[in-house]
Amino acid sequence: MNIRKLLDKRLVILDGATGTELQRRGMPKGVCPEVWALQNRDVSHAIHKDYVSSGSDVIYACTFGANRLKLSQYGITDIRKINRDLAKLAKHAAKGKAIVAGDIGPLGKFIEPFGGLGFNEAVDIFKEQARGLLDGGVDILVIETMIDIQEARAALIACKELKDMFVMVSMTFENDGRTINGTGPVTALITLQGLGADAVGCNCSMGPKHMAGIIKNMKPYAAVPLLAKPNAGLPILKGGHAVFDMTAQRFASLGKALVKAGANMIGGCCGTTPAHIEGLKKKVKGQRRPRVEIEGISALSSARDHLILDRKKPLIVVGECINPSGKRALQKELSEQKMSLVRHLASEQKRNGAHLIDVNAGIPGIDESKVMREMISIMAVSVDVPLVIDSSDPKVIEDVLRLYPGRALINSISGEKKKMDRLLSVAKKYGSMFILLPISGTTVPLKLRDRKKAIKKVYLNALRRGFVKKDIIVDCMVLSLASYPSSAKVTMDTIQWCDQTNGFNTILGLSNISFGLPNRPSVNAAFLAMAVSKGLTCVIANPLNDEVMSIKRAADVLLEKDRNAESFISHFRNITVREDKLKGVNIPVETSITRCILEGNKDDVSGFVKEALEQGRPAEVLVSEVMIPAINQVGDLYEKKEYFLPQLIASAETMKCAFKIAEPQLEHKQSEQAKETVVLLATVKGDIHDIGKNIISLMLRNHGFQVIDLGKDVSSEKIIKEVKKHKSPIVGLSSLMTTTMINMKEVIDKAKDEGIDCRFIVGGAVVTELYARSIGAEYASDGVSAVRAVKRMSS
Amino acid sequence: MDIQFFDSISVPVPLNMIYARLGYKKGKTDIGAAMRKRVDAQIDEAMNIIKLRGSAAMIDIKGIDEARTVLENNIELKSVELARMLNGCGELLFMGSTAGREIVDMIRGKSRVNDMACAVVYDAVASEVVDKAIDWISALYNRRLSRENKRLTRRRYSAGYGDFLLDNQKIICETLMMKKLGVGLTQNYMLVPEKSVTAVSGILKA
Repeated sequence: MNIRKLLDKRLVILDGATGTELQRRGMPKGVCPEVWALQNRDVSHAIHKDYVSSGSDVIYACTFGANRLKLSQYGITDIRKINRDLAKLAKHAAKGKAIVAGDIGPLGKFIEPFGGLGFNEAVDIFKEQARGLLDGGVDILVIETMIDIQEARAALIACKELKDMFVMVSMTFENDGRTINGTGPVTALITLQGLGADAVGCNCSMGPKHMAGIIKNMKPYAAVPLLAKPNAGLPILKGGHAVFDMTAQRFASLGKALVKAGANMIGGCCGTTPAHIEGLKKKVKGQRRPRVEIEGISALSSARDHLILDRKKPLIVVGECINPSGKRALQKELSEQKMSLVRHLASEQKRNGAHLIDVNAGIPGIDESKVMREMISIMAVSVDVPLVIDSSDPKVIEDVLRLYPGRALINSISGEKKKMDRLLSVAKKYGSMFILLPISGTTVPLKLRDRKKAIKKVYLNALRRGFVKKDIIVDCMVLSLASYPSSAKVTMDTIQWCDQTNGFNTILGLSNISFGLPNRPSVNAAFLAMAVSKGLTCVIANPLNDEVMSIKRAADVLLEKDRNAESFISHFRNITVREDKLKGVNIPVETSITRCILEGNKDDVSGFVKEALEQGRPAEVLVSEVMIPAINQVGDLYEKKEYFLPQLIASAETMKCAFKIAEPQLEHKQSEQAKETVVLLATVKGDIHDIGKNIISLMLRNHGFQVIDLGKDVSSEKIIKEVKKHKSPIVGLSSLMTTTMINMKEVIDKAKDEGIDCRFIVGGAVVTELYARSIGAEYASDGVSAVRAVKRMSS
Repeated sequence: MDIQFFDSISVPVPLNMIYARLGYKKGKTDIGAAMRKRVDAQIDEAMNIIKLRGSAAMIDIKGIDEARTVLENNIELKSVELARMLNGCGELLFMGSTAGREIVDMIRGKSRVNDMACAVVYDAVASEVVDKAIDWISALYNRRLSRENKRLTRRRYSAGYGDFLLDNQKIICETLMMKKLGVGLTQNYMLVPEKSVTAVSGILKA
């Protein structure tokens, strides 16, 4: 039986659960399932045979956990043998009536960059198992129950490097439709089918209805058959045991939905039995097999997200900032193999609208492969956008593609024969898309006809290696106008030819056009608008440049790529024109100070306060009639929840800046009450949390109180000592834990015992008003209420 | 007992929970585009600084009575509420996570340089993601246990809450070898760096 021929003809029925069947047929707890299966051949043989009799076209060998890491827990070391023997057992049971799949399950460890297990080490472990399965004569390989995309990649690469055979990969998704590490079904599909999986799908963790939803999401993007192996519903507790209670009949009735959703191969996972499979087969009999509708897809992926390239959709921005060329700080960091700037640039570009991020580490004197792999590892964990691998060294590209947990874009492949052959081979192996650079020799083609020739050359070579047009993005090449005045026109013509005549995706590096010219941003922006109108798909640019991004957004609207201008409106909605920026409008300086405090604008407030003082406004008036009312208004807004904590703090810090300018000119006329009141603050003994206390300190200082902050983990003896020293009439105590708040009572009791006349105010996450009263203290839930309470206590 | 270490836990940014922790109320709090952009950027920065790591271990339960749970290594966990939760479980799962030292240092640093608005955002992010890391570890173990027809209890307990005293933190921390994650304990059994948590779940028998 040939799996590909079968898939061409009809729906393929997979088998059901092995693990729960072994348990149901007597396997005790705590044993190694693979060893038990070999020791009880009659049972495992019967399970396989029953699935074949029930109609399974494919049965899985009982080798789910037969890898070095799992078997070592049972002291088993001959991995190849156990896999071979179990494969042979399945082959014997199948008797040629079913295809036997060598079953490869998870290792139980996370693989770099998401865990400690090295990628190549993981590949070797999977290869070891796969060798045994191949020795045992399996017809195909299945990688299943994968909860992590990098592990699935390692297993798939291992299988494909061993032998060119049919390998299917199925992932396990949580209830939220993603794997535990956040990979969605479409993202996984794009990565795995790109990497050469012959079928992709999901198994376990959910019942048929839920899984049909997953398959439906995958279907429009599937260039390979899809498989689904749901559980027999969700486990429920019966008498303290978890059981799957979905009957065979109910399970089968939901099978049609899986096929309708697009699954070409269906079976069952945990809790399913031969009866479930028999029912399923009967139910879907006669149902037409879904067709694989697409040949390839222009799509890229990271570990957790994906991007579909569609010429009808908004322009895609490739962030260009992670390139050390001309950037001293980045060069220094990369030379020292530090990554904090890389991390920062990646997330900043993403936040400012980059859909992809170009990664380049090309500086002399470094191990470029090592540095690039480190950069990719950091970015794979910290950002979701897919990456563009930018290097002139094919070895570097190859090393990075092996590790990258997604489908990357190679920047770039030109017509230079040796490099082209090597890079096309690497791109094919790792399933990457690539940017086609239309250069054949060493010179850049200036005329359109020469560019067409160069494009065709690389394209035809790619086709011969099994690529399709959708795997390619043509770089339409931008030369500086300063050196080649017709550059813009040739590039426009190239874009138009690629897009309209040939249906290629296109890309260009924006800033090259204006090199050597003054007012570069305007030239870049105008050029971008023109290029988009010609059909440009992607642009390599700086997403932190507002002008470029505004032009991009506007162009998307004008070309109807941003439906109803939704994205455009959403982005620009809250930008208001400030009245004081309008010509001829005169805003009183007091209003500006108030506005700064309300808005938390500490950058401008000092200037306005100075201006007010220079205009002759008395400092006392500024403080009491402008600044304090403003901060009080902030407090009110916070209490009404119209402001949240960062706004409160930003305003408080602005007030602090303003107060700093006004204070020297106060002539000791600040509130007598505030001047005389020393407030002592401390986090009690045993507690190390202090951010709440720090906020209160800031707020009290805003209102002119003198604050002495003793810090955190302060003993009651020290607090009492400081109270006596500073004669503080008010003491504020903070604690976060129920176990430390009892120390508040200790401080208060000690003060009472020593006859100290002071009042206490307490707060913290677990402190309540009731508790405060019980220990004889006032209560404050936050900075605003603390200020109010202290004012009351000091009046 | 097999301790699993997780060097790089990846959780989706719990934006809604971070904003809620900062006092944001949908439909009521008026943030404005500039403030939202600033806070989102600070959340991103915090996520870049945080190195979310964890460890977990499944331990056999030797016996449970009303107020005490005895583990395979004869360690006793004294708590009526915990014993009640673990009733019916043959094993339990210790879990620990940390956001790392760096974020705590940055929070302190920002507070010192008059940027407490940023410090409170970093603080909120770190607090939320360490909890999310425990959720992640729970989901991972539930995934693995489901194939053995087992699952974790829906509730989990942390030392320092209810009658499960804070000094149990020492047992959990040492069992999980959290020193390897850079996590230690104060004399009063608080975890340092502060943005670290531990939790206990039961494993329901198959």
